Formats: sequence, structure tokens, C-alpha cells
Amino acid sequence: MEEDRVRFICKRTVVSTKSVEQGQLYRFSVFDHVMEPNHIRLVYYFRSSKTREPGEITKKLRESLAYTLNCYPIITGRLVKDIDGMDEKDDLNRQWKVKSNDGGMRMVEARATGTVEEWLRSVNREEELKLVHWEDMYHLPYYWSTFYVQVTEFDSGGLAIGLSCSHLLADSVCAMMFFRAWADLTLTRNMMAPPLFHSLPPRRFANHGMISNNQLLSHYIKSCALNAPPSNLTEDSIVTVTLLFPDPMVRAGESEPGLSTFEILAGLFWVCVSRAKGKTNEFVDMSLCVDVRKLLRLDQSYFGNCMVYHKVQYSKPFKTKDSLLLSHAAQDIHNATKRLDYDTVMDLIEWLSSNSNPISNGSDLVCTNLEDMGNSRPMMFEKDLILSHVSCYVEGPVAGGGQVIVLPSPSCEEPTSRVVMISLPRREMVKVVEDELLLSFSPVLLMDYTKQKNV
Amino acid sequence: MPDPSSSVKPKYVKLGYQFLVNHFLNLLLIPIIAKIAVELLRMGPEEILNHFNALHFDLLHVICSSFFIIFVSTVYFMSKPRTVYLVDYSCYKPPVTCRVPFATFMEHSRLILKDNPKSVEFQMRMLERSGLGEETCLPPAIHYIPPTPTMESARSEAQVVIFTAMDDLFKKTGLKPKDIDILVVNCSLFSPTPSLSAMIINKYKLRSNIRSFNLSGMGCSAGLISVDVARDLLQVHPNSNAVIVSTEIITPNYYQGKERAMLLPNCLFRMGSAAILLSNRRSDGWRAKYKLSHLVRTHKGAEDKSYNCVYQQEDNEGHVGINLNKDLMAIAGEALKSNITTIGPLVLPASEQLLFLSSLIGRKIFNPKWKPYIPDFKMAFEHFCIHAGGRAVIDELQKSLELSGEHVEASRMTLHRFGNTSSSSLWYELSYIEAKGRMKRGDRVWQIAFGSGFKCNSAVWKCNRTIKAPTEGAWSDCIDRYPVFIPEVVKL
Repeated sequence: MEEDRVRFICKRTVVSTKSVEQGQLYRFSVFDHVMEPNHIRLVYYFRSSKTREPGEITKKLRESLAYTLNCYPIITGRLVKDIDGMDEKDDLNRQWKVKSNDGGMRMVEARATGTVEEWLRSVNREEELKLVHWEDMYHLPYYWSTFYVQVTEFDSGGLAIGLSCSHLLADSVCAMMFFRAWADLTLTRNMMAPPLFHSLPPRRFANHGMISNNQLLSHYIKSCALNAPPSNLTEDSIVTVTLLFPDPMVRAGESEPGLSTFEILAGLFWVCVSRAKGKTNEFVDMSLCVDVRKLLRLDQSYFGNCMVYHKVQYSKPFKTKDSLLLSHAAQDIHNATKRLDYDTVMDLIEWLSSNSNPISNGSDLVCTNLEDMGNSRPMMFEKDLILSHVSCYVEGPVAGGGQVIVLPSPSCEEPTSRVVMISLPRREMVKVVEDELLLSFSPVLLMDYTKQKNV
Repeated sequence: MPDPSSSVKPKYVKLGYQFLVNHFLNLLLIPIIAKIAVELLRMGPEEILNHFNALHFDLLHVICSSFFIIFVSTVYFMSKPRTVYLVDYSCYKPPVTCRVPFATFMEHSRLILKDNPKSVEFQMRMLERSGLGEETCLPPAIHYIPPTPTMESARSEAQVVIFTAMDDLFKKTGLKPKDIDILVVNCSLFSPTPSLSAMIINKYKLRSNIRSFNLSGMGCSAGLISVDVARDLLQVHPNSNAVIVSTEIITPNYYQGKERAMLLPNCLFRMGSAAILLSNRRSDGWRAKYKLSHLVRTHKGAEDKSYNCVYQQEDNEGHVGINLNKDLMAIAGEALKSNITTIGPLVLPASEQLLFLSSLIGRKIFNPKWKPYIPDFKMAFEHFCIHAGGRAVIDELQKSLELSGEHVEASRMTLHRFGNTSSSSLWYELSYIEAKGRMKRGDRVWQIAFGSGFKCNSAVWKCNRTIKAPTEGAWSDCIDRYPVFIPEVVKL
């Protein structure tokens, strides 16, 4: 039984450096409301080549965070449940809003033993979550901070910064953009991509009927119902494994051109997880989570939820050899994604404005595409702090029965290399990591699940 | 200053009366000079010369009279108290990252005192009516949930706050640390060993024969007490300068209990400090900003009520805090009356003193029910710096001294921007007046400070040279936003 490697130092609130104009209210978009019960936790690891005084970098980060928050009044505000419109009795209209009251965000400081490299070699999900502080909503939401940052300095060098936030305010894309803006401001005193706060595109006026076979919409109609199927994870605990795929495109071999790395990896896991669940004639239900900012013609700096979940159907035969199965799966994923266009998503947005239930992905496998979040310009807070690894967790009903999150790989040279975080029930995970098709991609195990306790 | 309540005629009568009484001696001289001039003109030049020759000056007379004149003038100049010049001063501006908006303060309060919602409610009501703004600063140790006031963090707050102000002072005045002859530091609630003055001497490598003093426990009026100490020392030591550091260290004094009377200081006290350079050298006379005219100290500690009204004690749970009594305002008013009675004759023009005297005599002899005459201090001073102890203090003084909004603007705006910084608040207020470009040569400033004990101290400064705005200092980045309207209650 190892002793706790992470020592909590203190918790405080960081406020913006300029005082905020009081009384402003920010409304959420329909995408935000639908994601309410979930939260995101990100951990960024930085290697360092020089030694520092303990606490020095934390102080610097705290100050630069205060300057960064000047551009994010929505983060420093607090949630209020306000009555929208005149009708007080209609409960449907009581929705969350953010009141910009200058409350600030919480920051936790901690220290960890060893170096970042040592930590990464032997960490598991439970320990990693100790690096990112999160508090569930208090019974008085007005005093509850929606964003948390934890800065953990490693005694022998290196830094881990954890960011957690309520999914109501942000999705993984804009949480990562916030992080990048903070890093830019710390390093260069300039924010390259300040956030944009505005509403989603407005209703279309032309006489559009709903697109008849809008699968995206039907998926949401089913998943947002109050009696949506709950995830049936009963006795089995969720374990998480992180794998690095050095060159998935090469390994995929003779697949059709035009497929993205995400599609190939999603197809791969579709096949493996289905086999692990014991299904031989069909695939498990899978939803893909993709960022639709580009589709809706919004800038990547748009702050707010803008990722949708859409189900994929397998349409080709099953009884083929593995590589062909993978290729078909990836192709179907590709086609499903191609069917998403502006009108499809707008239909969804328009339908959501009359729906107030959050989405639940039941026990589906959820594959999230964050592979475009890497950037040619490296992200760093100081010149000697080099990003070595990023972890991402999404928790809540939207996580379904298992998650596969595809992230860019910060440390690998190859542009198509990817880091994939897989969270599955333990029994399935055991089978997936030994699957032949998966092993044919020569993944490197970054985070193992075996040391995780059964809780 | 227009008198809105009276009509035109009485105003002119009053003005005429004031002119007559204040320039009485000058007016007396006019007929005398006129008579002499007439006589001289009547006599003609030869007669004047004859008169002059008839005086029989011989050498002895001349030497004796000139010796006598030299002797008298020497005695006069030697016994005159040395002028104490305020060369310059500097106020500490806390970093923006220490800012504490209302929402954050209330949230922390609620998280720390989660078992005492009534105390939290009380704090919220106090904060709403406090007159503070959203930019006041608390030291880093108090930002933690829960706060961690260790001795080390208190020392580090003291170092940051004092050294920054002193570095700024050295830069403004060109003073070299080894030239400091006298050092007086006042900080009421934090008194480590070695003292804060020793800390300064160590940091700046001051001389070994420096005369250093560390005043602690003397409350918010200690700033002027330090000035008094420095002034007295400067009378004894010729050609010297004195550096005064006024501050209050917040870290060890954050009350962590739930008694309501002790929670109020948490809402009001904020980080701040000031460093002041005084000198009695004649060579500093041309560049000094102010000259010290008067300094009056009044102590009401002999009365039990005054002694107990600001009392540091432990509450039922063992938390140490400062207990503020409910009749604090009344006691402050009494102390102020005492102080005014002493300072009035020193500063008020003769017209006001006569009126006050006649009103006093009238009340004693004729009719005790006559309203006491409140001397018009606006005639004695152009600027007022009232210790920004809280909104109630400023309101009370504005009412009793009949001051206008503009007179108390410096105090209110200092309370809004910096909070109650204890003994250094007077210097922030003076800095505000300078930053607004209102300080002209010859202007007189009245600084009034209240403190535990109960003490009321006043200092009167006369401006030595017009101070041009914009000034560098604590107000430089925000002076354009002031004055702000401060609502009665800020809804949180």
C-alpha cells in the first residue's frame, strides 16, 4: 500500500485583476443545457529541465491566471437559476444562467513526490484524478465555483496542471482552448486566441421541414427522454487505460484514402469492444462525439458547448477477416460523420430549444474526437516546461457505458500518432487490451489499469 | 464658500465681520502709517535731517544698540522651534493579484463559517454598507480557504509592504539608506522580535548609530504619534532627517471566530503602508512638499468607557479578535471635541475664535440652551484628511464639522479604493488630493486620526510648493475614475 504521493497544500480563490461590471447575466445555449450533469477533468503534464524553488512556478501561474480571467467573466461568475420570461409557474423555464459577480475560480496547490516521468510510468486512473480537484455542486450553487485548477509541483522536477469544469459551461475543446490561452499569456503576455462569447447561429427562416432521416436528431430524441436507458454498470468498476498509437495510419494498411486517424481508431475500438462484450454478429451501440464548430461556421475560440453525439450504424457484413472488418467500420464511421452538415445540426438545435432534458448515452460506447486539439505551436508556460502528456476524463451520464477519447500526442514526432484514453468496465478491458487486432497496431501502454483498486 | 442656507445680506455681514477681525492689526497700522507719512511730508527733508543729527549718535551707543539687536535676534532665532519639513512620502500600492471583490469575500466567509449563517449574514450586511470598493486587497495568506495566518506569512507581508514603499520613497527623494538618522516604525497589531524597525535596518544596511523606534499597540492613530516622535527628535538633533513607516499587517489579525462585534474589522481592514521622509535641514526647504505647523494629541484613556471601546480579546472559543463597542461613534465625537478645543486656538482665525468665545461665555452665563457655536474650520484649512476608519466615522465627522462633500472626498475615495489601511490611510488621502491637482502652495491640510485608547490626534501641514498633477504613486492608474458615487447599500 503506497503512501499518498500527492500532498495537498492549500486551496484558494483566484480572481481577475480587473473588477467586473456587476449584474451581467450570461445565458447558456441549448447545447450547454443538454450537457448539464457532466463534468470534465483535464490533466496536463510538463517536464522541466531546470530546478526551481518550490512554490515559485505556482505563484507565477496564479498571477498569470488572474490576468487570463479578465477575458473569461463567465468563469468567474456564479450560477443562478433565473426565471426566463414572465411565467413563474412554468418550471420548464427555470434555467441556469451565469451571473457575473466577480467571484473568481478555485485553485488548489499541491506537491507530489518524484518526477513527472516516474509518475507517468506508474500512475493509474485513481491517482491521476488526485491531480485535478473537483467539487460537486453545493446545495447553494451561488457559492460554488464552476472551474477548478490544481497546480501540482513535483519535488524532483516537473509540473502537472489539472483543470476541471462543469460541462454546462464548457466542452473539452474550449476547456483546452482556455488552457492554451493561459499558457500563451504566461509565456508571451499575449493571448493569441481570446475566447468568443456569443450565441449559436439563429433559427433558419426558410421553409425547412425537418430533414426526414436526420439520424442525429433521432439519436437525441431517444437519449434526451426522461426515461432514457440508464447505464447498466452495476458490479463492475470502470478502469482506464491510456495507449499511445505511434503510427496508426501505416498499420491500418490498405484502407481507403480519405479516412482520418480518428475514424480508423474509432473503428478499431468498435471492433475490439464489441468482441470483448461477446458480440459476434453485431457491433455494440456506439456514439461519436465530434466538434461541430466548423460545421456551424463558428471559430474555434467559440466558448461554450459545441460537440454533438451521433450514433453510427454498421452496414456491411460481419464475417470477414479482421483488417477488412476494421476498414468497413472506419468507412461507416466516415460516412456517418459526412452526413452531418449545417442543416442537420441546425435541426437539432431548433429541436433542443423545446427540450429541457440532459442527454444520456446509456450504455453506449462513446468515442470522442479531440485529435485536432494539437497545434504546431507548442504549448508551454515557460520556456523550459515542455508538455509531455495530456489526460482527459469526462464524467456523467454522457459518458455512457465506456469511453474512448482520441487526443493528439504531444511527445511523439509522427503527426498521425495519437494518445487514446479508454475507460471500460474491468472485464471488458481485460479482453480489449489483449485483442489481436489492437495489438497489431503496436500501441505503447502509457497508463495501466492493473494497479487500480476494485472500488 | 457660498452659504446655501442664508440669504445674501447676512453673508455679507459675516464676510465683513471676518475681514475686520482677521485683519485688525493691519487695519490699525493704516492710520499710524498715514499719520507718520503726513508728518514727514509736513516736515520736509531738512527738518528730518536736523532731527536725525540731534540724536547724538556716538560710537558706544551705536555698538551697544547693534549688539543688543544682534543678541535679541539670535535669541529669537535659536529659540524658534526647527521647521520640520515633509520632503516626500510614498504609499504602497498592493498588486492586483491580491484583490478581493465582495463576492469572493462573502464566498470565503460562507465556506469558513458554514455553521454560523447568522454571522455570515451580519458580515454581508456590514460589507454592503461599508463604503469599500471591489479593488481593495488582502494579503495572500488570507486568500486561502481557510486562511493560514502563520508568523512566516505575516513577516513576508510586512517585508513586501514595507520594503516596496521604502524603495519607492528612496527613488522619489534620492535618499541614500545610510543617510537616515532617525527611523520610526508603527504597526499596531504585529510586533515580532526582532522588531520591524530592526528588519528595515537589516535589509537596507542602515548606520549603526541610527536612532530607531518601533511603536506597537497604538492603534490607527499611531501614524501621527510617529510624526510627533520624529518631530521632537528633530528638535534635538540638528541637520537630520527621519524616515517614518506607518503600516498595519493584516495577516495575523484575521478573526476566525463568529462573534459579530469582532467580525467587523475583517470587513474593513486592508493591506497598505506609507513611508514618509521628514527633515529639519534648511537645504531641504526648497524641495519639501509640506511644513509641519501643528501636531496635537488627545488621549481619553482616563475614562473607562473610552479605554474599553476598542478592545482586543479572546472570544468564547479562544479566537483572538478586536471587539468594537457600540458607542464607538459617540466616544469618537467626544475625543474630537477635546482635540478641537486644543487645536482651535492654534489654527482658527481671530474672527472664529471670538465668536466661539462669546458663544461659550453666553452659554455659561446667560443661557445654557444656546446652541454651541461650531467654529468654521473651513476657514482654517483648505483640505481635510479624515482617517478612513469606516463610513460611519467619515459621515459623523462631516456632520459635526459641517464639511462639504468635496472636503471629505479624499477620505471616502480612499476607503473605497484601499479600504481601511489603518495608520497609513491619512497618507493615501493626501496622495489623492495631490493626484487630483488640488494642492497649491500655502494650502493648509488637517489630518485627523482616531485610534484605540481612545485617542484623537491631529496634524496640520502647510503646503510648501504647488504639486503638479499627474503624480506618480498609488493613485496614478485609477485617479481618472474618481470620484465615484458610492451607494448607501451595495446589493450583493
